[in-house]
Amino acid sequence: MQRYFQFSILSMVFTYLLIFIGGLVRVSGAGMGCPDWPRCFGRWIPPTSLSQLPDYIDPEKFNLVLAWVEYLNRLFGALVGFIILITFVLGYLHFKKSKNVLLSITAAFFLTLLEGWVGAKLVDTVLDPITITIHLLLALIIIGLIIYSSIHSYYLIVGNFEKFSNYHPHLKNVIVGILVCLFIEIIIGTEIRGGLDMSRKDNPLIESIILLKMLGPFKYIHTILGFSLLGLTLYLRKIVYNIKFKSSPFMINSINFIIILMVTQILLGESLVFFDVKPLMQLFHMWFSSLLIGLAVSVFTFWKISLEP
Amino acid sequence: MIKKSYIISVVTIISFLGISATWVISKANDSIKELPAIIKKVPNFSMTSHNGTPFNQDSLKNKISILDFIFTSCPGPCPIMSSNMRTLYKQYKLHPNLQFISISVDPEYDTQDVLKLYADANGVNDDRWKFLRTDMESVKKLNREGFMFMSESLPAGHSVKFVLIDEEGNIRQYYNGTDKGSISILRNHINSFLKNFSKNA
Ligand code: HEM
Repeated sequence: MQRYFQFSILSMVFTYLLIFIGGLVRVSGAGMGCPDWPRCFGRWIPPTSLSQLPDYIDPEKFNLVLAWVEYLNRLFGALVGFIILITFVLGYLHFKKSKNVLLSITAAFFLTLLEGWVGAKLVDTVLDPITITIHLLLALIIIGLIIYSSIHSYYLIVGNFEKFSNYHPHLKNVIVGILVCLFIEIIIGTEIRGGLDMSRKDNPLIESIILLKMLGPFKYIHTILGFSLLGLTLYLRKIVYNIKFKSSPFMINSINFIIILMVTQILLGESLVFFDVKPLMQLFHMWFSSLLIGLAVSVFTFWKISLEP
Repeated sequence: MIKKSYIISVVTIISFLGISATWVISKANDSIKELPAIIKKVPNFSMTSHNGTPFNQDSLKNKISILDFIFTSCPGPCPIMSSNMRTLYKQYKLHPNLQFISISVDPEYDTQDVLKLYADANGVNDDRWKFLRTDMESVKKLNREGFMFMSESLPAGHSVKFVLIDEEGNIRQYYNGTDKGSISILRNHINSFLKNFSKNA
């Protein structure tokens, strides 16, 4: 059982790394670094020179740096898939009786397979914006499921760490509200991002920041919802800090961490709009969103466990 | 409260990720901006455009050119090529330093009037996109010797490549004119060339 918990944490850490690397591939423009899938230019080890290209692939597509960036991303993806597979098997061996642990890791594993398939479609469709969004959302769902399963297994191993807490019945609604708004915020964010990418093609050599200013109302909704999310989380913090609920340190720390991350997101977002659309900032803005989803799912899970005997 | 060691490890991890990512991004950026090397010079030629103006090797000077070979009655790849060319033509409307050239490989059918109609159908309303013709022998020779394409079975067997030509009339790179991925690379190269161009001007 201990093993399962360790592997679920490992799955979580590696999935987060993979989300970061995937975002890195995107901001560095290496998404089409390998024009085929799963192999790269028809080879299991990407070519290092033009002479190694097969003749059915247009040679102008070959860029050594981009091919290797994309390929390392794929290798890492395969590694993560393997780690999640092991976790899934361990879950099956040790947690047959716990639906909470087993169902979520099972779903995570099969969605990971689906995610690999969507990744292949990304290459087929030459990075179609809607497919990119689906790819990101699936990753967020997978990480949420892994975390949910992991915390539940922890509870079954160490006993109920939330047994003293007695949360306000209202709490569930606030947490679910935050999760839903977070998802909506992320979808709107990817719309802005997609619009920016499109506009970049139609207006070559114009600074991204000017294009961003030209984008429609999504941008304002994104800002407003961002601030509202912070407000909602501050409200949640106020509730759980009330001494009579005896909130667990897990709950309190997670909520504080969410607040720190949201403030960071707002600062990053505003600097994208007011200073410059820097790839590194885009990357962290995307990645912190995935951390926020993970923490919000954790908070939800803590609340759920507090209902258990 | 939150432990110091906790904060230090978070800061370390974020910095590590940030520094590695910066390194990868800058490597990738340099590789995208890198201009393709000179392949060869376009030889001398002499043609007429759909507007009746003469066009020769000197018309390539001081401009970045995207060139392809088509014929207007072609059922196969040409409509896709022309549609991709049209997209680029529209996207770069603010850049007079970039010109588009489509050479007919069926000059018998593609008279100046036919080319003019074809240009209109493609929404050409300025000087940036020209449709050229000359006699069959010269077109074959230009295909073979100028651009290293097959020329035995023209017009049907013409190449589907887009050719990028620099401001000195050198061929710099070939792209698959029917393939989205290939064209997005062409777009990167055009952007780098145009940036260089405005720097030098
Ligand atoms: C809790 C708060 C926020 C979350 C969870 C969030 C999430 C996101 C996500 C997921 C994206 C898409 C990134 C991608 O597809 O790679 C995005 C894009 C964007 N966000 Fe936010 N955001 C938040 C707050 C803000 C705020 C307050 C602003 C300020 C104006 C902002 C500005 C932007 C901009 C300009 C983009 C498009 C550029 C890019 O690709 O990063 N965001 N956001």
